[in-house]
Amino acid sequence: MIINTVEQIKDLTRGAVFLGTGGGGDPYVGELLLLQEIRKGRHVRVIKASELADDAQVVSIAGIGAPSVLVEHLQSEDTCRSLVAKMEAQLGKKIDAIIPAEIGGLNSIIPMAVSAQLGLPVIDADGMGRAFPHLEMVTFSVYGSSAVPICIANEFGDSVIIEKTTTDRKAEDLARGICANLGAMIYSALYPMSGAETKAKAVHNTLSYCMEIGRGIREAREQLSNPIEGIMAILEQPDIDRHARILFEGKVIDINRETRDGWHWASVVMAPLDGGDDRFELDIQNEYLQGKLNGKTTCLVPDLIATLDLDTCEPLTAEALKYGQRLRVIGTAAAPIMRRPECLKVFGPAGFGMDDEFVPLEAL
Amino acid sequence: MRIGIDVGGTNTDAALICDDQVLAGAKSQTTEDVTSGVTSVIQKVLQASGHSHSDVSAVMVGTTHFVNAFVQRKSLLNVACIRIGLPLGSGIPPLVDWPDDLREQIGEHIYMIGGGSYFNGHEYATLDEQALQQAAEDIKAKGITAIAISSVFAPVRPDIETKAAEILNRHLGTAYITLSHQVGGIGLVERENAAIINASLQALSRKVVPSLHQALKELGIDAPLYLSHNDGTLMSTDYAMQFPVMTCSAGPTNSIRGAAFLSGLEEAIVVDIGGTTSDIGGLSKGFPRETSDASDIGGVRTNFSMPDVLSIGLGGGTLVKHDEQGIILGPESVGYQLTEKAMIFGGDVLTTSDIAVANGQMKFGDASLVSHLNEEFIDRVCQAMKSKLESAIDQLKISAEPIPVILVGGGAHLISGELKGTSRVIHPTNSDVANAIGAAIAQVGGRVKRLFDYQVEGGREAALEKAKQEAINNAINAGAQPGTVKVIELEEYPMTHVQSHAVDVKVKAVGQLGE
Repeated sequence: MIINTVEQIKDLTRGAVFLGTGGGGDPYVGELLLLQEIRKGRHVRVIKASELADDAQVVSIAGIGAPSVLVEHLQSEDTCRSLVAKMEAQLGKKIDAIIPAEIGGLNSIIPMAVSAQLGLPVIDADGMGRAFPHLEMVTFSVYGSSAVPICIANEFGDSVIIEKTTTDRKAEDLARGICANLGAMIYSALYPMSGAETKAKAVHNTLSYCMEIGRGIREAREQLSNPIEGIMAILEQPDIDRHARILFEGKVIDINRETRDGWHWASVVMAPLDGGDDRFELDIQNEYLQGKLNGKTTCLVPDLIATLDLDTCEPLTAEALKYGQRLRVIGTAAAPIMRRPECLKVFGPAGFGMDDEFVPLEAL
Repeated sequence: MRIGIDVGGTNTDAALICDDQVLAGAKSQTTEDVTSGVTSVIQKVLQASGHSHSDVSAVMVGTTHFVNAFVQRKSLLNVACIRIGLPLGSGIPPLVDWPDDLREQIGEHIYMIGGGSYFNGHEYATLDEQALQQAAEDIKAKGITAIAISSVFAPVRPDIETKAAEILNRHLGTAYITLSHQVGGIGLVERENAAIINASLQALSRKVVPSLHQALKELGIDAPLYLSHNDGTLMSTDYAMQFPVMTCSAGPTNSIRGAAFLSGLEEAIVVDIGGTTSDIGGLSKGFPRETSDASDIGGVRTNFSMPDVLSIGLGGGTLVKHDEQGIILGPESVGYQLTEKAMIFGGDVLTTSDIAVANGQMKFGDASLVSHLNEEFIDRVCQAMKSKLESAIDQLKISAEPIPVILVGGGAHLISGELKGTSRVIHPTNSDVANAIGAAIAQVGGRVKRLFDYQVEGGREAALEKAKQEAINNAINAGAQPGTVKVIELEEYPMTHVQSHAVDVKVKAVGQLGE
């Protein structure tokens, strides 16, 4: 697949907000960066992991930082490009392809801009099929690949290499501290992996899924009188392990937000449009973690929750939610690899300090 | 006494007000040059009231003319877009996301210059004066007269943009320079976009505003002229000439403020029913409730505080159809051709106005031309109009409690009786010129929106005090009487994802117009 049109970029961005499950950072700035690359006549080439040689060298590219800094410290052309060169020097090996670590939110688009800049292919896969707040919350890490060495740079030319850490969680803590000292917005090249590792450990086909969702929403809106039917037809295909449920339709009647430990915590309460007694609650810790109908869980992390504008079906981030908004909340099943016990330990309910046992969406 | 004027896309409305009394209202057609429509409506409103031009103490004009010109790509200047930010931002130059036709009109005169600030106000690079001088030479050679300057974290360090403007002024003599910190808050792309839009409108604003002065002079009115700001306050004509982009949402703001004045309410939902659409907005503490969402002006993303207004396809010219499913309202409308095409004017198209006249709610056109409509059908259409409006009102309500609804605008009488979810439905007198009344009663405002480092400012209290004082001074500088200025809005947004003491503070102060 080649990505080289404005429409494709808008579809990708829309899909990335959906898969961001409320968080992941607004991909708008990434969209602009990719748009500029396309205006220059460049393009993104997307390949399947199966096309990689087993000894190919793969790396992830991701941004880390504060949203209010991201919208001022716009990206320079060189920052991420230089990260690839730094990683190559570190490994003593050419990079053959780039893989997104996180397909939800901003970090889905950044790797594609780098791919367009360098002419490197980007792999149709990622490490979670959604967005998570920490860099160790990826299947790569769960299955034994290491985040280090991590090459970090800011836009000013400062750079750091995290050579070795005892755990990937430690790498996350270090990167966060470095971020605070480098202007609160940094970019990183991390999780260097072989082609064989990538094939075995990634969540596959998530980039094309992201595109399919974004395009599906646009087309359903343009062509159907009831767009949600078209969207659900994409999200729910049990024969290829896609399960989806409309969790709730209604309006926001209460939002509690707070900034704690530098993170965005919130809970949102919704009520039906017809004034009925049902109450739906969304728990947010940067991303949506849990949806509950009248106190009973109907979707639980790592399964995905997305909030769509009731009329336009446009996906909305948790920060954009406001009182009175009319929403449709959709739950979709995480990829099967994400639901294995070893993964649930890291980014299932337990990974977020919740006591709940994970139950798949389709069984709730 | 004051004359308030609202220049809309179709109609120019006026209201004459004295000591909180509406003496008269009038309507005229909006003209291409704005001024002749304004002249005509002033004459009409004075005539209707029996007052003379010498009684007028102030004239306030709200106009969507500038935003319409931008949306229609009319009378726009070429703009030199100067961004101070390198080494940052080379991957996302100015205008990246602009529609192609606009990029062409504005010209792609982009200059990226070294310099800029961190969120804490420290410079990461000093202003590259040499590059700026080179840009000035190039701008001079190209004969470009409008310039937009943006810089990284300008709301924290406005002086970097100011210094750049001084250097350009030295080289260029007279140029129209807009600085991004004067038109927007945090969010470089959106703030820069607002500055570029504003710069592109400089030729138009410097033609239209003086021509309004001229029109008053020719009418023999020797009174100060003000323009309506987006936020429902007033600005001087000098300020308006410099910042035409600040008029872009004055229309809906004035109609909500006018509705507040006419009803005496401070908390309500306001519905302004026009020819093609109804605009529904929230009234909170006497001012429009604002949205923080990115707003789109002519296909360009900006971050203005705009009234949170929902437009639905229900107006006096909206077509009424029906099939086996039921009644279909619009979204097509006969718009300004209502008086030719509607049945009450001998036309052959059934509109919502025909239904309202047939139902005896509205006196308009010839009622006998719709007397054949059957009562049950009329009733069903009235119900359909109401439920469409009720659903929109529900979206704007901020709690489940019933709330009063104020109906204004030329089509206000399309709706009669109760509405679900509301405590009462108010049809104030003079509601057809509520927007002009909103312009006439406006106060003078001052705003602050920037990052304050609470540690540097000596704590939260001291920082907020400083922010409030800045807003109050801004209001006084804009013409408010010092004793009357009050802070009516104060919001704090701490930074997330990083430990810091920087807080985005937003303050708004308003005061009475000085005599």
